[in-house]
Amino acid sequence: MRLSGLQKDVLALYRQCIRECRKKPEASRKHFQAFARTEFEKNIKVDKRDFSAIEFLLRKGRRQLDVYASPGVKDIK
Amino acid sequence: MFRTAILRSAAAASRTAMRPSAAAGRFAIAPASRTGSFVPKTVAWQAVRCYASGSSLEKTEVYERIKQLLSGFDKVNDPSNITESAHFANDLGLDSLDTVEVVMAIEEEFSIEIPDKDADTIHSVEKAVEYIVSQPDAN
Repeated sequence: MRLSGLQKDVLALYRQCIRECRKKPEASRKHFQAFARTEFEKNIKVDKRDFSAIEFLLRKGRRQLDVYASPGVKDIK
Repeated sequence: MFRTAILRSAAAASRTAMRPSAAAGRFAIAPASRTGSFVPKTVAWQAVRCYASGSSLEKTEVYERIKQLLSGFDKVNDPSNITESAHFANDLGLDSLDTVEVVMAIEEEFSIEIPDKDADTIHSVEKAVEYIVSQPDAN
């Protein structure tokens, strides 16, 4: 399956999320990963040609990642 | 494997050498200093990395480890579908996010970092094995 540039961006963001998860304490790593997954799945139905919506969600996701990547955030429910 | 066996026996030897000296150390100084020089020697030996020993991994071993990893991944539709040529999406029923997770898990398993450009091209067990074998740092 060939992916568009935007689709690659989405996967790259997800990859970045998993990388950040690994920096979290061992016990809460699973929670962060599950949270990232549900955040992506919330928008799984967005049409792949709806570029502006996907771009908006990407920006939102990156901002969210920045917030949760801060070392002060140790666990997530 | 041979190296770890030597290391283990060396560690055991230093441990047994330490024990009598702890008891004797209070009375005699000579034996304590002898074991004292023995212990750093094993530590120094451990710090040496055998760069000459086989660096690249065997294809079958890589496949076995990836198979192990995939069979522990609960989203795989059926563990019996994991074959050397299995495609993550078509044969194992994984979506694109799962594929990313698998590639990241492979990355962790072989302690390497796969850049995004290469990670996007890994869609099957075959491709993953090929990539790992071509990486000299993988272990």
